[in-house]
Amino acid sequence: MNTKLKVSEISKIYPGCIANDKVSLEFGSGKIYALLGENGAGKSTLVKILSGVVKPDEGEVFLNDESIKLNSPLDAKKNNIGMVFQHFNLFETLSVFENLSIDSDKKDEDLRVLVNDILKKYNFKIDLDIPVLNLSAGQKQKVEIIRCLIRNPKVLIMDEPTSVLTEQETDDLFISLKQFSKDGILIIYITHKLKEVLSLCDEVAVMRKGKVVSVSSTIDEKIESLANKMVGENLNTIKKKINNLKNNEEILKISNLNFKSDDPYETNLNNLNFSLKKGECLGIAGISGNGQNELFQILSGEIITEGTSIMFRNKEIGKLNPRERREYLMAFSPEDRISQAAVPELKIYENVALNNFKSSNFFEKGLINENKIKEHSKKILSNFSVNTDNVELKSQFLSGGNLQKLIIGRELITSPELLVCFNPTWGLDVGAINYIHETLIQINEQGKSSILISTDNDELLKLSDRICVIYKGKLSKIMNANTVTAEKLGILMGGGSID
Amino acid sequence: MSFDLNFIGILIGAIMASSVPLILAASGELITERSGVLNLGVEGMMIIGAISGFALMVVTDNLFFAVIGSMFSGLIISLIFGFLTQTLLTNHVATGLALTIFGIGMSAMIGKNFVGIPGKEFPLLFVNLKESIPFLGPIFFGHSIILYFAFGLPFLTNYFLKKTKTGLVVRAVGDSPTSASNQGINVTLVRYSCILYGGAMCGLAGAYLSLIYTPQWIENMTGGRGWIALALVVFATWSPIKVLIGALIFGGITILQLHMQAVGLRIPVQLLSALPYIMTIIVLVVISRDSRKIKLNTPTSLGQIFYKEK
Repeated sequence: MNTKLKVSEISKIYPGCIANDKVSLEFGSGKIYALLGENGAGKSTLVKILSGVVKPDEGEVFLNDESIKLNSPLDAKKNNIGMVFQHFNLFETLSVFENLSIDSDKKDEDLRVLVNDILKKYNFKIDLDIPVLNLSAGQKQKVEIIRCLIRNPKVLIMDEPTSVLTEQETDDLFISLKQFSKDGILIIYITHKLKEVLSLCDEVAVMRKGKVVSVSSTIDEKIESLANKMVGENLNTIKKKINNLKNNEEILKISNLNFKSDDPYETNLNNLNFSLKKGECLGIAGISGNGQNELFQILSGEIITEGTSIMFRNKEIGKLNPRERREYLMAFSPEDRISQAAVPELKIYENVALNNFKSSNFFEKGLINENKIKEHSKKILSNFSVNTDNVELKSQFLSGGNLQKLIIGRELITSPELLVCFNPTWGLDVGAINYIHETLIQINEQGKSSILISTDNDELLKLSDRICVIYKGKLSKIMNANTVTAEKLGILMGGGSID
Repeated sequence: MSFDLNFIGILIGAIMASSVPLILAASGELITERSGVLNLGVEGMMIIGAISGFALMVVTDNLFFAVIGSMFSGLIISLIFGFLTQTLLTNHVATGLALTIFGIGMSAMIGKNFVGIPGKEFPLLFVNLKESIPFLGPIFFGHSIILYFAFGLPFLTNYFLKKTKTGLVVRAVGDSPTSASNQGINVTLVRYSCILYGGAMCGLAGAYLSLIYTPQWIENMTGGRGWIALALVVFATWSPIKVLIGALIFGGITILQLHMQAVGLRIPVQLLSALPYIMTIIVLVVISRDSRKIKLNTPTSLGQIFYKEK
């Protein structure tokens, strides 16, 4: 069974932006293709066209040399094109089986047999009769994949599939994808993660600003070469200077910090102890769900704890709320940009005002001083190179990278002594990641401290002075970053021990 | 008041009759809301149903036409709501409120010529059984066909939502219209259908009031029952069976407190009149407090405007 998919001269123009500019690509079964590009490069538009969600303005799609019309998702299904979206298209309150049966014309009993066969064949373990909202992100993705497999797809498109997965889940996914490819399914894998392209895919097409800029075999490529193609300029690799912090004063001290939760979905924290010096960056590694969320919330004051367990500049702050902690010159950048850090429906300047309630001149007698806030916001936009100067823009229209720049900028413009950030580059493209990393290094150089809670080991090794690992709510011993390797972190993150 | 089994049977029969409009309207609204559409126009659709049913009865002298006509007019007025919210993408809440105001005004205008006209007797079923069996007779027999339909409806609705493919599609659309659309489901069509069905049921609920319960036209005769139906749907956490329970409690306490007022208990009348509202909410909150079930039954996209990417 050989499948050939060809897109020819596809163009799609949105007001003010050319999403796809005469894109032509060819794919054949037996290989895994990567479609690589930064956020906004036009990858998602192209796959939406292939899955019938969006209609192209121009161009044609050929399946096995026959021109096909993709006017709706149904057309894509009819042509055996399966698609797993980045944001899952699942019905959270329905059971797994209901999710699968909703668009199937098979009888329920037959479908159940088929699904069980698929589960067995690919070694997926999912209870079919529980509601989807009880599944982990990895399991939800498997449900999406099963939904495609039911229809015997010729083509399977995966849109940024690993952005929500843990490392273990990612490994599992790659094994499955390789198996699908062996079974003759043509796989198109959309990503901006370079490592994944090299470890999984056979061919790679790079997109930039709506155009295909390169098509090549992955064996001919390296991370640097792909990164440069993707960004379109030579990226300077950032390296942190090793700082001598021995004589610096201690700024933060966490002692005997415990947290016990009633919610079974939260992780308890068990007797955490660490301290931080001026100008230091402490990295906290770990697989997500090992207590990072809880630790961040305790540091930021969303969860209040015993006063003495957090000492900041020799003051007890454990009982203070986030606003009060900000007055002591702490700053926070939460993991979830859209729901925790910013309000997407509000304009940029309103979001800037939100965490500066006390700031002297934003509010006068309970009224908002718009001009002052706008001025201040413009400063953030230009200082932190956010890709717009329109402070009236609703925050939801900023890309992930620009929103993160805005959030970090909002925190840093008050020159805090300590910045706590949680997965600051999650889901961002190379250009934005580079910028955020440079910024984080800069604040250490200015003598400010930072705590970096991250699930990205490369990032931790690049930015931290010292690193520790959080596992099931406990911290490992704290190590100097230059003595730590990715392997060591991996062992600790899995609950092992090193000496 | 001596203990009289037959009297209690008659009382229960009366309670059942008084809860019929609530069951009908709430069951209809439940389907609408399950598809993610919040139609606050229940009161307006009910009163339009009431006046058009009554007017048709007077004009055609045919109860069958009157009942069908009331459902049809409920459907037409909900079509306005559907067009505004689904095609023109207006806000559900504001449009629903406008619909209620429109319905009340419109019905008063049409109804001017029908005030004071006596209604027609609606045929009741199994009347002789009602009289020959004590206690159970007045409970199960001697009702209109609409009452039997109303009491079957929550079970049908439950079956429809849980066991049929179409019901699954309705729930899916209410959960996530975007996902449904990406799965090739015509979200707008599903939502239109649910809105129209809800409208027809509200129309029927109104007709029950003006043709059977109090067979005459009185301005504003729905008296807030539409709002109660709306509240029932929410407090019953979108479960049809709990809607039935809630409607019976509400009907029951309404009737009982009237009797208590008649007996002359020394409780302020205002408190007694408020009793049905308070008790219904308390009971429904207590029986629906399983937070996991609430999450599973609540249409996640309720009240959200859906538009398709082009």
